[in-house]
Amino acid sequence: MQLIAKLGILADAAKYDASCASSGAPKRSSRGSEGLGATDGMGICHSYTPDGRCVSLLKVLLTNFCLYDCQYCVNRRSSNVPRARFTPEEVVRLTLDFYRRNCISGLFLSSGIIRSADYTMEQLIRVARLLREEHNFRGYIHLKTIPDADPLLIEEAGRLADRLSVNIELPTDASLKRLAPEKQAHTIRQAMGVIHRGQQAVAGEPRAPRFTPAGQSTQVIVGADATDDSTLLRNAESLYQGYGLKRVYYSAFSPIPDSPGSVPLAAPPLLREHRLYQADFLLRGYGYKAGELLGEVGNLALDIDPKLAWALANREVFPLDVNRADAALLARIPGIGLRSVQRLVALRRERRVRYDDLIQLRCVLDKARPFIITSDYRPAEGELRSGLLRARLREPQAPMQMGLWG
Amino acid sequence: MIALDCNDLFATWRDQARTLLGHGIDPAEVSWAQGPIDDLLAVPTALPDGPGPFRAKVPAALLSLLEQAARYRGEQRWNLLYEVLWRVAHGDRTAMLAGDRLGSELHRRVKQVSREAHHLHAFVRFVPLPGALAERLQLDLVAYHDPAHDILHSASAHFADRLGRQRWLIATPQDGIRFDGQAFDYRRDCPEDWRQWARNADDPGAELWRTYYRHTFNPARLNPDALRMHMPGRFWRHLPEGMLIPQLEGLARQGKQRDGQAVEVAVQRGKQITRPTP
Repeated sequence: MQLIAKLGILADAAKYDASCASSGAPKRSSRGSEGLGATDGMGICHSYTPDGRCVSLLKVLLTNFCLYDCQYCVNRRSSNVPRARFTPEEVVRLTLDFYRRNCISGLFLSSGIIRSADYTMEQLIRVARLLREEHNFRGYIHLKTIPDADPLLIEEAGRLADRLSVNIELPTDASLKRLAPEKQAHTIRQAMGVIHRGQQAVAGEPRAPRFTPAGQSTQVIVGADATDDSTLLRNAESLYQGYGLKRVYYSAFSPIPDSPGSVPLAAPPLLREHRLYQADFLLRGYGYKAGELLGEVGNLALDIDPKLAWALANREVFPLDVNRADAALLARIPGIGLRSVQRLVALRRERRVRYDDLIQLRCVLDKARPFIITSDYRPAEGELRSGLLRARLREPQAPMQMGLWG
Repeated sequence: MIALDCNDLFATWRDQARTLLGHGIDPAEVSWAQGPIDDLLAVPTALPDGPGPFRAKVPAALLSLLEQAARYRGEQRWNLLYEVLWRVAHGDRTAMLAGDRLGSELHRRVKQVSREAHHLHAFVRFVPLPGALAERLQLDLVAYHDPAHDILHSASAHFADRLGRQRWLIATPQDGIRFDGQAFDYRRDCPEDWRQWARNADDPGAELWRTYYRHTFNPARLNPDALRMHMPGRFWRHLPEGMLIPQLEGLARQGKQRDGQAVEVAVQRGKQITRPTP
């Protein structure tokens, strides 16, 4: 089979993995050296496809032959898809060619399980080793980790790659048993543990060889089973705390061709995915706890964002005086982001903050107005009940979900 | 009114601004030429001689903000900078903060400029030259790009980090830059032959990249607005994948969004794998 035909099949097979980040790598440069590639911590989105997602890495499978039969996966062994397999040299050639053209900032390589978990992991490592050692490639490398692979192999991968990821895919044991019978929750967590310990071993030792400097990530599928947002977010929180994960990706389940009856055929729940990302960002960036955003069970509201939802449920905290309140509290005002908080704090050192200043800072005042006090403004609607406010602030529901079938 | 022309060079503007500030000349009394159109109301008065009596002190951070914002092509390009400088030099530091009306515009320009540098890093597409031509021109890679602001000179070093000893060239409608593996050659006016090489390079290899682009797209998640927000249409015509965008959107709208698979894969014969013997 020709390289271009393999590329078509193996890119198509890899598109369901949401992550395409190339950020967080240490500073590397090829200036004046043999080889190619640089990283500086900032990711670059080299293109966008009409699904609105960024193309930052060459994201392919080494092969989509697979012994597993995960029901949600287009490459499961019972799926009727065309199959292909790259040689490691072919992946290297594609990576270097696209990199030279400035189409990508690196490689994200994953694979179906062939022969055994160890064999598959060895093949992935071989590609990374060829790139790093034969071709002096200093760009970004993200390797998928096969959970059941030997810990020694995972450690070897961690020394070559900027990022490793082990996908959870389904967040509960029951769903895994039902939809991914060959996978086990405890081996997934074990693999995460191996990576986390590898990172801890070199933490604070600047001379030690690097180990996954851009951290580890994982992905959960949203909407393939009945798991609610509360379970997803609590799960994410425990992963951030327990394994120092950099990111949890949420991938709205896209219907797959030749779909088995066990998974839905509905359009991907894109708005639900979006709300989960917003809530996840509140966990990572703003210091919210999962328990503040959702009760024991339930889903995030779709019509308002989770930060606004929290503010409406905690009206006693507001209105906040932007001239006095702690920065951490300012960041909890709907419509005022972390950057605006920094700028407000800088401005209020010089003088009193007025309402007009928030306009200049491009805060979303429609949202912020009921929750703030400035030197020349105090909300008249302060007495408004949360229910009324919510009715006014809810986002019009785009008819997109229905239109998908039009 | 003092009418000045800094030839869109920051260093020239800075010298002029320093003199003006030293003589206490109010921003309302000075005007910088903008391209070929002179300010019709500005009666040319000469720049005063000497540094002037007023010794202004401004924070170093301001100078770097002004230099960034100076790369912005737009109305009042140089006048705005002088107004900010004037206010800060006279004790009003809010003029350089985003909360202020003028400072907000300054920061908007800085942000646009840095966004445009990022666009350069993201959307430049190099075409590899075939061996014989590469040898003759002493160039491995060429690219044509059309930035909205003057960022080519300051933002191109990025590619020397990425491409090691490769020799490359980026041409734009205004300026151009060339790297021979060791040193840069920046030209404010791009030589015409550079432009020709960059615009006419033959690129059969781009088909691999277009194949990848078609297949990594998930038609079940069609969201053309997000694409346009992050990758404005003005860049499409210099991207090898640009011509695919309307085509893929059209296919997805006509029903290819029931699942995520590309048409080219769906029409191929599939292969189920037999259950492994335990």
